[in-house]
Amino acid sequence: MDFYLGLAQVIGIHSLLGLSAWCVLHTGQVSLAQGGFFAIGAYTAGVLTSMWGWPLALALAVGALLAAAVAVAVGFPALRVKGLMLVVATTAFAEIVRLVFFNFTWRVQTPAGPVGPDGSLGFGGIRYFPANGWTTLEVCLLIWALVSAVLLVLWWLDRSRVGTLWRAVGEDELAAQSAGINLTAAKVSAFGIGGAIAGLAGGVFAHYATHIEHNNFSILLATFAIAYPIIGGLSSLAGTILAVIFIQGFLLEGLRFIGDWRSLMFGVLIVVVMLVRPGGFLNQSLGVSLGLRRGGSPNKAGSIGKGGTHA
Amino acid sequence: MDLMDFIDLTQSLIDGVLFGTTYSLIGIGFTLIFGVMHKINLSYAAASIGAAYLSLILVSLVPAPIVYLGAALLGGLLGWMVYLICFRYLPLNNPLAALMSTVGMLLAIEELISHMTMGMPQNYPALFASTNIEIGQFFLRGDLIFVFVLGCAAMVGLTLLLKRTRLGLATRAVAQQPVAAQLCGMGVNATNANTFIIAGFLGGTAGAMAGAAIGVLSPLMTLPLTVKGLVVTVIGGLGSIPGAIVAGLIVGGAENLFQFLRGVSERDIYVMLMLFAFLVFRPGGLFAAPGGRD
Repeated sequence: MDFYLGLAQVIGIHSLLGLSAWCVLHTGQVSLAQGGFFAIGAYTAGVLTSMWGWPLALALAVGALLAAAVAVAVGFPALRVKGLMLVVATTAFAEIVRLVFFNFTWRVQTPAGPVGPDGSLGFGGIRYFPANGWTTLEVCLLIWALVSAVLLVLWWLDRSRVGTLWRAVGEDELAAQSAGINLTAAKVSAFGIGGAIAGLAGGVFAHYATHIEHNNFSILLATFAIAYPIIGGLSSLAGTILAVIFIQGFLLEGLRFIGDWRSLMFGVLIVVVMLVRPGGFLNQSLGVSLGLRRGGSPNKAGSIGKGGTHA
Repeated sequence: MDLMDFIDLTQSLIDGVLFGTTYSLIGIGFTLIFGVMHKINLSYAAASIGAAYLSLILVSLVPAPIVYLGAALLGGLLGWMVYLICFRYLPLNNPLAALMSTVGMLLAIEELISHMTMGMPQNYPALFASTNIEIGQFFLRGDLIFVFVLGCAAMVGLTLLLKRTRLGLATRAVAQQPVAAQLCGMGVNATNANTFIIAGFLGGTAGAMAGAAIGVLSPLMTLPLTVKGLVVTVIGGLGSIPGAIVAGLIVGGAENLFQFLRGVSERDIYVMLMLFAFLVFRPGGLFAAPGGRD
């Protein structure tokens, strides 16, 4: 049972990460910076609870806010470029964050011994959950409560004016600009909200893992973050969650029986999924092929991509 | 700073610039593919290292220069396979799908390498490893000079190919205007495939050069090489081959310089900050292609 609860926790944390990337991808921008925001949230929340003794809720909130602030600060210069340039700029940012934490040492003495980030050795002893007697089930429920809250907020945002603006920018920047939409505001707000969600995910991850180190936050993590929405399809939030369950639950855990070859199959299966469903699992053409066509352009994924990767 | 420090500093700068040709070649590969297809092939650096690994099969059979040639040819083969698997059958108007499929390919190649070698780094043959040229206070490492010369030769070959052959003409035409090129009777798919093969030659050479300069090949080299290649592409300006060459040398030199000044664990922070400086002050890159096309 604990195994499944653990898996549910991982899926929950990665769902948050995928949803953070969904915000940014929705405006047609491909950002590999989510791993950096995740790291900022993780280290901030970890420092606040384990070194300063703050309550968890406050620490998670501050971690998310700090990640959002960094996202907005980075977003203004970075979002001036798009396409491949943005991919590289955000990659560079994520690498800077990772390397800063790689070189970051700040230990304080507590009754339980010294704690704090210790450079390349990582940051251990973030023992809020065990110290306060949380069971695995309670942690799992907390994570999924956060996922539900984020889903609710994003669902509401998506249906509100903000979501409409984001989609308009994602579908066609030029047209959106001609219609009087402030491109910078739309992109930076998406970047900031995505940063906050990634920071929240990072804070939860730090307490779930109790030990974090720079390797947790490599480019690979950011690649996973954008893989979930792209594989799931950008037109719905459910696609992202479905993709997380598919990748974390099936590809990484369900295929354990094939042993070491599992991580190889992982790359191959991503390629296969993209070949079979290039717009993601739940894109509009699925509805078309099932005869359920509703309004909207059938090649939406394509037009989002066009804004995204053409420089 | 006294004289000895200055000599050490210049020495590390020189070594870095010599090794920078590897980054140049990877940057050129990214730029070439982006120029023709307007898509990113993230698996490129991994395939390059993979080609160098494959050429290890030849090591016991033939002398080192043939091994390098083999790496280049195998790189071309891998490039063609990547094109077929990750690009050929994906819808053209969906760059996100191509981005993801090449990420999958990157992971698959990395894992395949780890599996085939049991995760052990493999020795790679180097030429002139024991030769050192001494100029005044400076040492020029023979293997690095060889890598530099090999890189320059590959670049000259590429320039001749692009400027003097019909294949090069077709590549440039498709990069400029795919529809017009098609109307003039050029096969866009065939040209795209050829571009991947050409880029693969360069990548295989770069993989062999990296192996020869460092002395070993390891699957851990793929991600850093990918990131450095992308940095070079952006600093040089998208679609600009001279830009990629110069940017590769700059990145190689800067990397070694920062390593000398600040240590190996911090050096990449400064390289990335340098990239940010370029993005803010010169977003088009060093040799930005003239505007026009979207």
